[in-house]
Amino acid sequence: MAPRIYGIESLADISLDSGARLKLSDGPLQLGWKHSGMTSDFIAEIMALPYARSRKDYLQAHHDIGYLSNELIENAVKFRQPGEILIEAGMVEGSFLIRVKNAIDSETSSRFQQLLHRLQLKDPGVLLLEQIETNAISPESGSGLGLLTLLSDYDARMAWTFEENKDEHIILTTTAAVAMPPSSNL
Amino acid sequence: MEISDENFRVWAENNEVYFDGVFRLAGPDAYAPIYSLITGLLHEGHKQVTFNLTGLEFLNSSGINLLAKLTIEARKIGDLLLIVKGTNQHPWQAKSLPNLKKLHPLLDLRLA
Repeated sequence: MAPRIYGIESLADISLDSGARLKLSDGPLQLGWKHSGMTSDFIAEIMALPYARSRKDYLQAHHDIGYLSNELIENAVKFRQPGEILIEAGMVEGSFLIRVKNAIDSETSSRFQQLLHRLQLKDPGVLLLEQIETNAISPESGSGLGLLTLLSDYDARMAWTFEENKDEHIILTTTAAVAMPPSSNL
Repeated sequence: MEISDENFRVWAENNEVYFDGVFRLAGPDAYAPIYSLITGLLHEGHKQVTFNLTGLEFLNSSGINLLAKLTIEARKIGDLLLIVKGTNQHPWQAKSLPNLKKLHPLLDLRLA
């Protein structure tokens, strides 16, 4: 079956062959969570270096890369089916781009696709405030704010690809980009 | 009153709550003890409460959810002034703290 793509389709095709590539092996959630923080810190450290001549640009680049990477990897760790998480990251035309690929189950896939449908109809800033109010009255719900903050507060451009696997799992590939400070010395 | 681990520390002095370090906990359940601590302070009958975030370098989206839930809790207490002190030194604050003001227009957001 053909993959189903949401968001900015052209992002899904951009090659990251010349970027960094990491694989997180399967393991207990607690360890995966720790690796999520370490990995996003590592990516921010190496990718923000070219901005080090300006303290302001460096802080901005380091933070934006760290926040974006952390949210994508946290989601992958939280919702993955057993198996590895593939992470690719690089700089493309003045933006930091990251792609995270992992297996999810069909229930997670349909729930997530419903959210992406809602995102096509409403402004992410409005949806973010709605989700915050919902979370405040239903303590058992997850935060669900990761993607909404990225789209609303970080102006991230994003694409999601769902592919059916041979077994019952779905392979989810999330690609996201944020603009980097213009005055770089790249 | 203090909650901490190797990455962060949260504590209260009178009616001011200090947040320090990196908040990267795994979700609402993990943030629940911090939420309880601060909700308790909000209901102690103070005229104003300050969240001092100037030492909070980084937080994940579940941490943003915690701050938003606390803001809504303060909003529900009609005669409580909530002051949020932040800094432009940590880029997430200028991006995400204005959302708190949208949730609670009477909140006094001070970003220096």
